[in-house]
Amino acid sequence: MLRITGGKVYDPANGIDGVVKDLCIDDQGLFVPAVEGGRTIDATGMIVFPGGVDVHTHVAGGAINFARAMTPEDHRRTQAFIRTKSRRSGLGGMAPTTFATGYLYAGMGWTTVNEAAVPVLSARHTHEELADIPIVDKASLTLMANNEILLDQLEKGEFERAKQVLAWYLWSAKSYGIKAVNPGGVAAWKYGHDAKQLTSPIDGYSKLTPGVIVTHLARICDELGLPHPVHLHCNNLGAPGNISTTIDTLKHLEGHRAHIAHSQYHAYGGDGWDTMCSETAQLAEYFNAHPSITTDAGAVLFGDTVTITADGPWQHLLYKLTGRKWGNLDVENETGCGIVPYTYRPSNLVNAVQWAAGLELLLLIKNPWQVFLSTDHPNGGCFWRYPEIIELLMRADVRKESLLKLPDGIKGKITLPEIDREYSLYEVAISMSAGPARALGLFQKGNLGLGCDGDVVIYEEDENVRKMFGHPRYVIKGGEIVLEDGEIREAPSGREFIVKPPCDPGIDDFMRPLFEDCYTMSFENYPVEMERIHNPRMQDCIEVPR
Amino acid sequence: MQKSKFLPRGRKDRTMVLVDIRETKSAKAADIFLQVRPGKDFELITILRALIKDRQVSDQAIAETGLTREVIDDLIRRMKGAKFGCVFFGMGLSMTRGKHMNSAALLTLAAEMNAFTKFVAMPMRGHGNVTGADVIMRWQTGYPFGISFSRGYPRYNPGEFSTVDVLVRGDCDAAFIIGADPGATMPQPAIDHLKRIPTIVLDPHVTHTSKLSRVHITTAPQGIAAPGTAYRMDELPMPLKPALKSPYPSDEEVVRRINEAIAKKPFWLPDGSQPQMLNAQV
Ligand SMILES: [Zn+2]
Repeated sequence: MLRITGGKVYDPANGIDGVVKDLCIDDQGLFVPAVEGGRTIDATGMIVFPGGVDVHTHVAGGAINFARAMTPEDHRRTQAFIRTKSRRSGLGGMAPTTFATGYLYAGMGWTTVNEAAVPVLSARHTHEELADIPIVDKASLTLMANNEILLDQLEKGEFERAKQVLAWYLWSAKSYGIKAVNPGGVAAWKYGHDAKQLTSPIDGYSKLTPGVIVTHLARICDELGLPHPVHLHCNNLGAPGNISTTIDTLKHLEGHRAHIAHSQYHAYGGDGWDTMCSETAQLAEYFNAHPSITTDAGAVLFGDTVTITADGPWQHLLYKLTGRKWGNLDVENETGCGIVPYTYRPSNLVNAVQWAAGLELLLLIKNPWQVFLSTDHPNGGCFWRYPEIIELLMRADVRKESLLKLPDGIKGKITLPEIDREYSLYEVAISMSAGPARALGLFQKGNLGLGCDGDVVIYEEDENVRKMFGHPRYVIKGGEIVLEDGEIREAPSGREFIVKPPCDPGIDDFMRPLFEDCYTMSFENYPVEMERIHNPRMQDCIEVPR
Repeated sequence: MQKSKFLPRGRKDRTMVLVDIRETKSAKAADIFLQVRPGKDFELITILRALIKDRQVSDQAIAETGLTREVIDDLIRRMKGAKFGCVFFGMGLSMTRGKHMNSAALLTLAAEMNAFTKFVAMPMRGHGNVTGADVIMRWQTGYPFGISFSRGYPRYNPGEFSTVDVLVRGDCDAAFIIGADPGATMPQPAIDHLKRIPTIVLDPHVTHTSKLSRVHITTAPQGIAAPGTAYRMDELPMPLKPALKSPYPSDEEVVRRINEAIAKKPFWLPDGSQPQMLNAQV
């Protein structure tokens, strides 16, 4: 039991904007009106937020683990966590180890993370890694937009069947929702091609286009009532002039819920690397006119990182552009992945545009409930650098100073210099917690209301925004004080959120022959067993209004 | 063999080329067998890298590999003509003259082939669940093997912290061995050190290592009498379902019980005697 008294509370889910108010958490780790006994934290003069929620990150599974193997030189120079009685050892850096991932997230007040890209075939592996990430609660999304069995149903126009196939895969993976990466493009990449036009048929299909996949996945997620809508990584990531593809994609989503991943990478004008510029104003305008669509920024920070994405063809291009290490994974007929270490430099015009574009989206999309803090960790920068982004959002003068480091050629390519908006603490709380929790359909998260999970972060008020958000005074997870005075005190294991969509029992008989034709493992062994999930929490499906 | 949209006839639509220094049993399964001269792997790979880019290579350089220009040209034509090429490589490449340089050259060849068609390369791993150990060490420590925890956090240096090097130097004063038989394969100085120190072995069988160990705990064989997970060479995890019952505990249970017993003892370092974190490693 825990009582937090005297703090200035920011709880956007309940419209509370900096009100001094007490919070109580019971033995179940939930907010209650009052408790008897237990510890009291005197938060007088401090700032109280709901624990952070990361809507899009890559912290577990085959791809990030491949990245760890590819970057021993980074492990060697990075932060090291020394083993203590309550804590395992580990390494931070570009691709932190699992235990360190939990300590680093909790260390800056984040208590829930969503692993955004899991192939069903490696779901078993991903769940094992997620179990080894302490403290934070977790959810994971299944990659579906390049799954050949599903695409075949869509090609044939068998919509109901496609819905059942998707539900079967989702439950086999024991995941929380659906991720679509470069629809059709990753399937085409198996044979060295890509899918760039929303309305052109995909290699090997006569009618199926990326646009068809996008629309149908969104509709399936709505009809199944998944708490999180389709989570979409659009076609043509990173390419100059891709704004037209992105807007076209958004039009294919009309009438449905959707979350657009890392929009920054999809908001470019120009027709080549020399002419590439930011088109965030156009994209933000679309979001401002369509309140049912959410996005995360996928902001870029200057420095070293490693890029990992299921977008295999893009990674091959990045390898050719940089000449650095390249790892490629193909996951049978389901999806693929590429890994390339990368350094974002302010002196590089393309990188400078990317840096500005991420911030522009966060500032130009007016409703903070629509755009969330993310770096697409580790792609645009590491998650433990979020406090730097918060500072850039809250302080126009810091942005102005950073703009001075960009090359002269940036003039006319970005709109950031003209933007004066500064985030308030209330808006930061939406962007890092309440907003992403709502978009994920995790109604018990990012919310300090009665009955919600007792996840809280308490900051010492400080003029230095970066320091304040980087070093919380207390972090509370499920009513347990996990961080105090800058040190991890407890490292309880987190839970995993899982959804069981309604599924026709006859689908097994339909899947079996198709499966046995092309998969290299047995049908019975494919679905992840429920016993393998560490602390599972079933989240109910919802009724999505048409 | 599995079929796919683009290879509807399964094996018949695939071509397998075997490159080895002698004609092994695998040659029968292959469509084409190429016998390369021992120790000339690096040269052959380099020639392939040059020829795919239409660079000139002398007849003499080709002759040294033991293959003819016609054979190599045919191989390149097939490689470029493939829809999806995959090179599997093993210890014959990575443990012979040139070692990691051979692997690096082959990986570069595979990467460069992507200028023409889809191409990948994948190492063939050793026996048992070596990939699984590698995968888990990576997510827990960042490194696949050759890790030292002597400073309280993972450090990596193959050649210094690899099992064989630690044993040969006599750096460790105890050994805990699960599901491996170093007593059968390691050099004599390493085996001598294992005999000298308390060596504990978990193994379903009597092995060379179990014979020289101080303690041998018989465990249930994984996948036969104990459940678990084995990672395939392509890093996909396969669940193991036991077909038989065993009177012996699983490796996992033994390790868990040892861990629980250790947890009851006072922590090895006094509180506050060490920093929790290092910002830059030394
Ligand atoms: Zn991502």
